[in-house]
Amino acid sequence: MSCDHLLKTQSYLDGQLSGAESDAAERHLQACVECQQFAAQTADLSDALRNATRHQAPEFLRARVQAALKREAAPTKVRAFWWGAASGGGASALAAALALFLFLPPSAASLAEAVADAHARALTSGHTIMVASSNHHVVKPWLAAHAGISPPATDFAGQGFVLTGGRTDTIGGNQAAVSVYAHGNHELDLFTWVDKNGALPQSTTVRGFHTAFWKEGDLNFAAISDMDEASFRKFIELARE
Amino acid sequence: MDDRRQRFEALALPHMDAAYNLARWLSRSPVEADDIVQDAMLRAFRAFDGFRGGDIKAWLLTIVRNCWLSTAAGSRRRVHVGLEDQELPAAEASPEDAAIQAGTQRRLDVLIAQLAPEFREVLILREMEDLSYREIAEITGTPIGTVMSRLARARTQLRESAKDVL
Repeated sequence: MSCDHLLKTQSYLDGQLSGAESDAAERHLQACVECQQFAAQTADLSDALRNATRHQAPEFLRARVQAALKREAAPTKVRAFWWGAASGGGASALAAALALFLFLPPSAASLAEAVADAHARALTSGHTIMVASSNHHVVKPWLAAHAGISPPATDFAGQGFVLTGGRTDTIGGNQAAVSVYAHGNHELDLFTWVDKNGALPQSTTVRGFHTAFWKEGDLNFAAISDMDEASFRKFIELARE
Repeated sequence: MDDRRQRFEALALPHMDAAYNLARWLSRSPVEADDIVQDAMLRAFRAFDGFRGGDIKAWLLTIVRNCWLSTAAGSRRRVHVGLEDQELPAAEASPEDAAIQAGTQRRLDVLIAQLAPEFREVLILREMEDLSYREIAEITGTPIGTVMSRLARARTQLRESAKDVL
């Protein structure tokens, strides 16, 4: 490896560049065979590392830490025994109720809201794109490495829908890969996430955004945009082919 | 529950897995990882009033790393022996033989564990915890340029050693 731009290319692949720097790195990547090879290898390695172990804190350790924190924070004044017992019981009942609520699958209606929320949040924050590229060989491995999902990320530039990049997001508690498209001044987000059992909402308009939902295998798809309805339908046809 | 502890737990406990993962990969020992995480959580709680908001995950992982450094300093030898004793199947003749028989996960885990700590930590923080270069620089107390070159070296080394499973 000898290309001077290798570290820049790496920063670009890791989604650490923005604006002009990102554009420059993308132009370089498209012209440099060595960096393309490095990009492919880095993506393969990231894919492989998803098989390495991300250790999870054992349950007993959580309990141990919480007990230690409790001792550390122990109030100096002594509480009445019955008060502590009652508040403890109340807290566990409340926690159990919350846990039950959190583990319920999101309803179809709330899913449409979640997609609209995620889209609006990205638009208003200006952070719709974490990896900027119209090259699906760049976007697809980036999404695979960062969202753990490998959606098609096909460029439909010939049909007026330009792939501009990708990001990761969360839909109904599931990690989602988002392919971002531009159609004139309008932006379209195509969310992809894994959920075998959840029901999907009907395609509808949420807060002025057109939405469409469909499944392919274990992947759920949601498209959302403020473009005109005819164009939006055309995109859905292309994406579902 | 008192207010300060409640606030701390609400912010910090969601990052318990990240803390444990880093502690485990740095120490390469489940027993030490438990102690490091508990120590780190207590230190973080004591220092919580000084936490000015912002990136709590990076702040906690910085403390985890410091806790690991203080254990490693006190028992350098044990930590070095720890890799062979605890991460590799003990009965096998050589790490290579043992690893080949194991699955891809085991193999990758062994190869990551064999990286030098300064390469291992940037790789774990980037690839598993999905942290930005800036956050990794903050946690490891190194300039961003160093994070970038270490990350590139870590990836190159791992790619070379893991050729057969990639």
